[in-house]
Amino acid sequence: MKTQELATKNQITWCAGCLNFMILESVKRAIVNSGFKREDFVMTADIGCGSKIYDYLNISGIYGLHGRSLPIGLGVKLGNPNLKVLSFAGDGGVYSEGISHFIHAARYNADMVLIVHDNRNFSLTTGQPTATSQQGYKSKASPLGVADPPLNPLKLALACGVGFIARCDARDINHTAEILEKAIKHRGFSFVEIIQDCRVFNLEASIKDRATYKIKDNKDKKIAEKLVNEFDYNSKKGKIPLGVLYKEEKPILADKWPQLKKLMEKKVGWAEKNLAFS
Amino acid sequence: MRLNILIGGKAGQGINKISQIVSNILARYGYFTFNYRDYQSLIRGGHNFNILSVSDNRIGSVESKLDIIVALDDNTIEIHKNKLKENGIIIKSKEFENFGKNLNVAFSGALIKTLGISKKILIEEIENQFNDKEANEAAEKGFESAEKKFELKKLNNKISVMSGSEAIANGAINSNIDLYLAYPMTPATNVMHELAAKQLENNLMVFQPENEIAVANMALGASFAGAKVMVGTSGGGFDLMSEALSFQGMSEIPLVVYLASRPGPGTGIPTYTSQSDLNIALRSGHGEFPRIVIAPGNPIECIEKTNEAFYLSQKFNVLSIILSDKHLAESEFSFDKKPAKPIKVKLNRKIPGKDIVKASSYEHGKFGNTTESAEIAKQNAEERLKKYELIKKECEKFEMIKIYGNPKAKNLIIGWGSTKGVILDAIDSIDESIKTKKGNYKFLQVLYMKPLSNQIKKEIQKSENVILVENNLTGQLGRLIREKTGFKIKNKILKYDGRMFYSDELKEKILEVAK
Repeated sequence: MKTQELATKNQITWCAGCLNFMILESVKRAIVNSGFKREDFVMTADIGCGSKIYDYLNISGIYGLHGRSLPIGLGVKLGNPNLKVLSFAGDGGVYSEGISHFIHAARYNADMVLIVHDNRNFSLTTGQPTATSQQGYKSKASPLGVADPPLNPLKLALACGVGFIARCDARDINHTAEILEKAIKHRGFSFVEIIQDCRVFNLEASIKDRATYKIKDNKDKKIAEKLVNEFDYNSKKGKIPLGVLYKEEKPILADKWPQLKKLMEKKVGWAEKNLAFS
Repeated sequence: MRLNILIGGKAGQGINKISQIVSNILARYGYFTFNYRDYQSLIRGGHNFNILSVSDNRIGSVESKLDIIVALDDNTIEIHKNKLKENGIIIKSKEFENFGKNLNVAFSGALIKTLGISKKILIEEIENQFNDKEANEAAEKGFESAEKKFELKKLNNKISVMSGSEAIANGAINSNIDLYLAYPMTPATNVMHELAAKQLENNLMVFQPENEIAVANMALGASFAGAKVMVGTSGGGFDLMSEALSFQGMSEIPLVVYLASRPGPGTGIPTYTSQSDLNIALRSGHGEFPRIVIAPGNPIECIEKTNEAFYLSQKFNVLSIILSDKHLAESEFSFDKKPAKPIKVKLNRKIPGKDIVKASSYEHGKFGNTTESAEIAKQNAEERLKKYELIKKECEKFEMIKIYGNPKAKNLIIGWGSTKGVILDAIDSIDESIKTKKGNYKFLQVLYMKPLSNQIKKEIQKSENVILVENNLTGQLGRLIREKTGFKIKNKILKYDGRMFYSDELKEKILEVAK
């Protein structure tokens, strides 16, 4: 398969120079390099600029409601655990509207990937603050400046027990593609936070001029605790680590449910359950 | 012949077990029973009671006047003695205090003796259920302590006992359900319990996500992937699901929702009954999209209509809602009929894994691609309406309404759902219209709330006096009928205190407005 085969004819409506173009290319490369068939994949998306990827990627998918990319993706895994699920969403959808799903997804540990396009504001609705907007961020909805400190999603993920925690800078297509491929191949719930600086809103949050550095895949929890705290999504100081900040294999959803296990063994979904339960 | 037995005590004393033991024995003896459960939202203590109604004829309700009170505590006598008939009997707790965990078994023994059923049959049932020597002894001692007051002769009826919840679960299994998703909420939870207990033997899965929003969205994800999915909840949880119901309308991913209602608004009275959620079943979710709402009235209908809900949902890739309430879900009904053979439920869509399939919450073109085109938006909206016309036609193959009693009667009673049993019993206790098909009454039961049968208008036009019976404040079916037929039903018998109708109470109310 070539990345071109993953393109659609739909007109792309992202702004000129939007980093979502980079993410789209990274995702295509990761899919191609993963070695799985195009038909094996199902993407889920919710509402936001990043989620428009649903229209631009030629794989099966569900374009769901705001904040629900994760539960819909989890549902796909319940319906057919053999499908490769890529759940796309933004910081608004995952860290604000759908935060409960994020916490529980770590517990279920379904073998799927969550890709967060984190532009640290609600761009599609013209710049209101999300849970990762920095304190003091002024927008039409917050003219006095955001009062509350942001959430550190990686720290939360680690506390929740997510077994694959990674961060990328959308500007770096090669690195993002490489991390996404690892996330697809990881057995369990993989969380990839992509910093996707917006060109129009919350320019102050951009990491363009910040010092970032790439780390090797880390399996040490102590080190991970240090790494997730280096960037608190608020202060302008310190370096930002990119790469797989934590990796640990643990039983996946389909290991824990005998019904799903049987479907996995026979490589079928419920639609062909006769083959699994005969 | 009809007896009403109240069994009361504190939560945790085993009231339900007494009802179960005695109902099982009575069923084997050929008697019809109806068991109403009245319990509070607590785990131990308080005051709970069951009313077990017994008859040699089909029944679907209880009466307010009692023949026997089985009192597991003094409080029960205090609360219910004014409803005891003049020659009624009280079976008290004092004599059984030493039985510990077998207290309820001893009471069952005493009750069986009072009814005039043999000790042999009692012991068979106790052995069957417990296989425990101490339980046998307790039953025997209870039996010996009581006096025979009635003489129930063995009848030849073949009786099964089932709750509405068990029947919904059976209907789902008959439809080859793959996944049941739910977050616990009374009175829907028993369906989850039933299916969870039976999941491995029936090759299905029961999963409890973090909240109802996740339940409904996950359900759509799973259904998209090819599973036959049902979700279950009560009013409050249904409110949370309504965003996903609207998403269903746009994405056309099939979904079956089981909605068991209880009194609201808000948390309301969680363990009691109400028919006040018909409106949300019909209308929740933003935008305009087709759906099916079916309200069964007894366990046989729960089995059959759940199957129809699955069939229609998959055939048309549409939302089917099965509407129930606490009284239907948690009462134990008896019957001597079998449900119809299940209809085969088949998927009618492409699924991912083999093809590239897209489903969207946005208005979309043929391949699932997002569009804002006025032309396509208009076309799609009209397609959704057109689909509803096809659904309507298909529904006509099923019993959308049922009519009982004298077809030429002056008085037409209209009701739906859990009031079915009590309406039939009340009418028959007036003039046996149901049994003889003569007399002054007929009963129109509405099963399909959406689409609504065209027959309803014709039946109303034929009748001299129309009486609406509903377990809610505003007569929601009455309003729906007015919306669809222009006919305003003036005689309304409505009850909205969280309790179901007693058949003697309903009879009096019908007589007040009947012609």
